[in-house]
Amino acid sequence: MAPAAEAARPGGGAAAPAGLLRRAWAKASTVGLALYAVALGAGLGLASADWATRGGYPFGGVAVGPWTAWPRAGSPSADPYTRAVNARRGEVPLAVGEGLLLTASTDDSGRTLDATCTYRLSGVTPPARAWTLTVAGRGTPDPGRPPMREGFTSTEILREADGRFSITVGPEVEPGNWLPSPRATGPIRLAIRLYDTPVAASAGSLDREAVPALTRLGCRS
Amino acid sequence: MRVAYATACGLALAGLVHVATVLAIPALSEADAVSRARSSESLDHPQQVYTLATGDNPAPAEAWLPIPDPAVAVGVCAFDLEDGPMRVSARTGPLMLTLAAHGRRGAFYAVTDQAAVRGALDLVILTRAQYDEALANDDENEPSRDVRIVAPEGRGFVVVRVVAGLPSQRPAANAAIQAVSCTIDSPGDEPAGGAKEPAKPNG
Repeated sequence: MAPAAEAARPGGGAAAPAGLLRRAWAKASTVGLALYAVALGAGLGLASADWATRGGYPFGGVAVGPWTAWPRAGSPSADPYTRAVNARRGEVPLAVGEGLLLTASTDDSGRTLDATCTYRLSGVTPPARAWTLTVAGRGTPDPGRPPMREGFTSTEILREADGRFSITVGPEVEPGNWLPSPRATGPIRLAIRLYDTPVAASAGSLDREAVPALTRLGCRS
Repeated sequence: MRVAYATACGLALAGLVHVATVLAIPALSEADAVSRARSSESLDHPQQVYTLATGDNPAPAEAWLPIPDPAVAVGVCAFDLEDGPMRVSARTGPLMLTLAAHGRRGAFYAVTDQAAVRGALDLVILTRAQYDEALANDDENEPSRDVRIVAPEGRGFVVVRVVAGLPSQRPAANAAIQAVSCTIDSPGDEPAGGAKEPAKPNG
């Protein structure tokens, strides 16, 4: 401030407007940088928060083979991201005493589940009074393709004599328990909901033998 | 140099904004289950949020559950404990039924129909003060059979889920949701009077 006043006092010289300009530019650039920092912070912060709480739960799941169990999604000890996801979607998650949600988006060998492929889901489920298997595609359902069947319940399926079962998920009609793909192309997701199950409280101890295996049989090219 | 400094400040600020936003979403959301369930607060039976489609009927418009289970009928009762303790009475039937009490932070209690005594499941959700009052009013010779749950917060909702194992059981599952009653125990009532009152609409 003081040098600027001194520079201005001699009067008339060409140096004075240049100094003033430089100072004004320095001040403007400081304000600009501060604005840039605030805009960057607000923009990145809001965008990353939106991204992290959109869609599925970012973490908190327990991986069991191809399946992921979500034992804490509905409990008060759920992490803040899970709570934010539930709040944004209006979801009413299953409580620990009520049941357990298992989801799968890949098969046993880690490949993404695809609507053009046929998968066999076989084996046993963890003990539960009832369970349901649901298939869903990402995004809004195709209006031109009304769902023939979205899922199976434990009561409905056909079983082997020893109680094991096998469900085929795919675009082609199959004998037995056939669950049609919900859409023509794109990734699909499977969800098993176990109702009134003792494993909800100890999902970490689930092993791969206790959940159904998901094997890819082939793909329609 | 100054640009790098400003960028670093911006990134630090972004971290703070991110954390604050994620923590604030449940409190600010208007689409969350607690806010949406509040429209059912004056009903004496659960508001059906997911009715099982019967035949070719599409799901009703109030089906706001994002990925509903196509074999489970869901109803909610909202409560505000300032009005008094909330009593949820369910009669067990052939279909599996679960009740869960949710607050804004998550489910704080859940019970299934296997806990029913003589085919009836009576759940009373109250605050700590209302719980103490109910204990003090209890008749020692005739202990109450209610399941009393102290809610961590004043507002929330109870979810009723009924599983229909077969498509033919879907109308029964929808009816089982409607048959559950959610009533407010008037605070001045004797416990016995409070217990009889909500049984009436069911009978």
